Amino acid sequence: MNVEIKKAINREKWLEAMHARGDINDELRTKLDEAEKMLVREAAPKAVYRVMEINEVSTCGFSIKKHLEGCSRVAVMGLTLGMGIDNLLRRTQIRDMALTVMLDCGASVMVEQLCDEFEEKIKQETKEKYSTFRFSPGYGDYPLSDQGRIARYLDASRKIGLTVTGSSLMIPRKSVTALIGLADHPVKGRLATCGECVLKEKCTLRKEGKFCGD
Amino acid sequence: MAIDFNEKVYILDGAMGTMLQKFGMSSDETTTQFGQKHPEILQEIHKQYIDAGADIIYAATFGINRFKMEELDVSLDEAVKVAMNAANAAKADAAAEGKHVKTALGLGPLGELLEPMGTLSFEEAYDAFSEVVSSAVRYGADLAVVETMTDLYEVKAAVLAVKENSELPVIVSMSFEENGRTFTGTSLEAMAMTLEGLGVDAMGINCSLGPAQILPMARKLRSLTDIPVFAKPNAGLPDPAMGDYDITCEEFVNTLSEYLDEGINMIGGCCGTDPQYIRGLAEYRESFVKQAKMKKVDRTLKVCSGTDVVSVDHVTVIGERINPTGKKRLKQALLDEDFDYILSQAIEQIDAGAEILDVNVGVPALDDVKMLPRVIKKLQSITGLPLQIDSSNPEAIEAALRVYNGKAIVNSVNGEEKVLDEILPIVRKYGAAVVGLTLDENGIPPTAEERLEIASRILTKAQSYGIPAENVIIDCLTLTASAQQKEANETLRAVRMVKEQLGLKTALGVSNISFGLPVRPVVNRTFLALAMENGLDLPIINPNDEDMMASIFAYNVLKNVDKNAVKYIERYADAEAAPSKISQKKDKSLTNASDKGGTGHDIFYYIEKGMKSETVNTVNNLLESKDEMIIVNDYLIPALDKVGRGFEKGTIFLPQMLQSAMAAQAGFDVVKERLAASDKETVSLGEVVVATVKGDIHDIGKNIVKVIMENYGYKIIDLGRDVPAEKIVETVKARNIRLVGLSALMTTTLKSMEETIAAVREAAPGCRVMVGGAVLTADYAAQIGADYYCPDAMKSVEAAQEVFDEQI
Repeated sequence: MNVEIKKAINREKWLEAMHARGDINDELRTKLDEAEKMLVREAAPKAVYRVMEINEVSTCGFSIKKHLEGCSRVAVMGLTLGMGIDNLLRRTQIRDMALTVMLDCGASVMVEQLCDEFEEKIKQETKEKYSTFRFSPGYGDYPLSDQGRIARYLDASRKIGLTVTGSSLMIPRKSVTALIGLADHPVKGRLATCGECVLKEKCTLRKEGKFCGD
Repeated sequence: MAIDFNEKVYILDGAMGTMLQKFGMSSDETTTQFGQKHPEILQEIHKQYIDAGADIIYAATFGINRFKMEELDVSLDEAVKVAMNAANAAKADAAAEGKHVKTALGLGPLGELLEPMGTLSFEEAYDAFSEVVSSAVRYGADLAVVETMTDLYEVKAAVLAVKENSELPVIVSMSFEENGRTFTGTSLEAMAMTLEGLGVDAMGINCSLGPAQILPMARKLRSLTDIPVFAKPNAGLPDPAMGDYDITCEEFVNTLSEYLDEGINMIGGCCGTDPQYIRGLAEYRESFVKQAKMKKVDRTLKVCSGTDVVSVDHVTVIGERINPTGKKRLKQALLDEDFDYILSQAIEQIDAGAEILDVNVGVPALDDVKMLPRVIKKLQSITGLPLQIDSSNPEAIEAALRVYNGKAIVNSVNGEEKVLDEILPIVRKYGAAVVGLTLDENGIPPTAEERLEIASRILTKAQSYGIPAENVIIDCLTLTASAQQKEANETLRAVRMVKEQLGLKTALGVSNISFGLPVRPVVNRTFLALAMENGLDLPIINPNDEDMMASIFAYNVLKNVDKNAVKYIERYADAEAAPSKISQKKDKSLTNASDKGGTGHDIFYYIEKGMKSETVNTVNNLLESKDEMIIVNDYLIPALDKVGRGFEKGTIFLPQMLQSAMAAQAGFDVVKERLAASDKETVSLGEVVVATVKGDIHDIGKNIVKVIMENYGYKIIDLGRDVPAEKIVETVKARNIRLVGLSALMTTTLKSMEETIAAVREAAPGCRVMVGGAVLTADYAAQIGADYYCPDAMKSVEAAQEVFDEQI
């Protein structure tokens, strides 16, 4: 299904994604506005979900199993901004890397925002009263290699044009797959801990004494 | 082997996946896996569809190819055999009962996306399809069906694979969204034009939507081509929560009956359908007498890329800038494989209003058979504009047409028999249009009548090779007015005669007319205006020349083409007068920074603020009194250093630094242009290879490093993304490279980075390796054997300075 872009891209998150520090002047704000227009023009967001019994969904790793503990069913979701954004980034970087970085970061924020809205929609449409937050491959020890399996459950390449490469990367690039646990009794889901995270040795946040779940 | 798909109503089969689910396929199995395990179920499903009335059944080969081998326990050939045998067994059983059906080899998407969206090369896609086709031929198929495709380029690889490895008829269906485009942007028009050119036997639409949503698209497709059209819609739209489809069998059948009224005489079902749906269609068959009210297909010349179509029903500008003749900088870029420069030339022309781009890579010492297809691939990665392949070498033309996505123009043939016999069959095979020059072994005839005669010969010959008349474009050749004044006028007469007597489209290179005369622009644009009035359709010009473009826009107003002068006004409303418009445009193309600041600042200021046009102007001024390298070393580099320091301190952040880098780049380009023009060597501080490692496609970080390092005077050999270790090693050895930069963004591809470093170490122990990417840390970089960990682009410059200084 097509997903409507209702909200502006959150400027704070956008600037944070670009590691922007110091003064944000009007010139930069104007540029962000222009970049947003380009993103909105080229994006054709689509999403799909499918509700499956928990035992129908195979997963690898400890984190996701803990996250879904106590749930009876799982909403499997996929969302993509579409190929237009990949094309835009490819074209732009020939002449304007600065704009490319801006667009790239903006698209990342946009896809997460749309996922937030889509997650809400799924929760409204499913009968269960309780649910977890969405959990994606690449988080904790839930391996990226499960990306292909999720895409297959969703028939994502046919339904929304989301494909997964042999090395488990998604194309179009600005895409998300995730699982949401559903239950009739209260469940919270669980954030992965640093101890189980595949990135624990490489995480810069952790070195700074921070936690990605904060 | 040929099948006449127009001969009768053909009922196609219904869904395979939906049926396999009914037969107990689990959520963790693919249709291929389940089908391979249960060939008897495949055969049973085929039988049910045949019993329901299907004339053509699709074997369950849809998901079998070399990229999905992990789904198979057997060889690819064995898997194709199992699937084909199941279909053929059902066919044989039916034949025993007197029912004659045909079995189709089903070819679905490979699962890996082709370049430029993905990383799969066209050639590898072709090989992958060829494998399956060759197997299917061994086990017997009556036709091949390429289906559920969303990328026209992948379709082309599949169609060529079928045609070149079998005698099978081939039919193609693609999946469209409600906006009439596939996920990758292919339009119905681009599909129709390209597939007709490739000579498929029928084309259609399947999957993604229900019959009601597909009907208007099928109707449109029917109006775009003369060849048979077919449709296999889903059983409506799926319910997102449950996955069930939303229309009944009766609704499905009723809607599909409308397809037959439109002259779409092959119908079946896709996802969600079963034998009941097909029975419903078949029961109607008898009442579906062929009542196709076929509309006449519009035969105006059209060309396209994989996404966009240009209809030559107006003066259509072909941009001539990608041609190294007389352009030292472009020539150097081609020799250096500096594709970014070539692409920037393309973008400039697109922004200026070109609708088609001419591509010529004619540099002596350059192998055009290799280079032309490479440039074509690069261009189609950044633009949807159709391309004109400009070469006289049949081998290079074929290599380029093969990898071209869409319908191109070949420039050119002429009246010589030998040339026509060599090139026209290639033009025919790939369904291109072709430019015919009105000259032959005796040269360019002086009179219009003689040029018309050659044009007529070219047309006849093209038609004898099966090229439709609308695909023949005639170039009556512009001569130089100063040297051949009389003949120059004959060109205009010849254009009119070709247009009126042969009804063909015409092209002309224009600027040649004024050679040797003063104030050439006036002569050029006057000639252009006269040529348009005489019927010129495709001027081959420099679209950055606003004078020429203005003539075309004005012509369209005066000829009542541009209604209410909308386009003219849009383009020129803000221009004070024509001459100043030129400088104004130039200025615009150079700057996208604010025009605040104005004059009175030095180059350090302009670069820091990312002001391109001011930087360029200042460099130009400096060049009047200073040596090129002094400008680089005393101005551009120090200015960048200042920005770099700001970046490291955190007062300037990435997009600002890049903006500055681009301003500096524009300054460097001026210097390079000057060096190339004076035949001086461009001084390079050292050659650095950069690449995103195998398996990874995230290349923005690498490209940032490239921009910054180039600014510091390093020559960057960019191998792109998803680069195998062997290719990096090969380049390092061949060019004796001292520094390699590798990037990887994902945890999954760090392994690949480690392997690449090991390979470089082994092959070239003296070569240093720097690495970067979001998931890397200094510790991890050291652990996988990198010499330098570069968390940002400035660090890569420092690494390079260390490496190349230690050498000196």
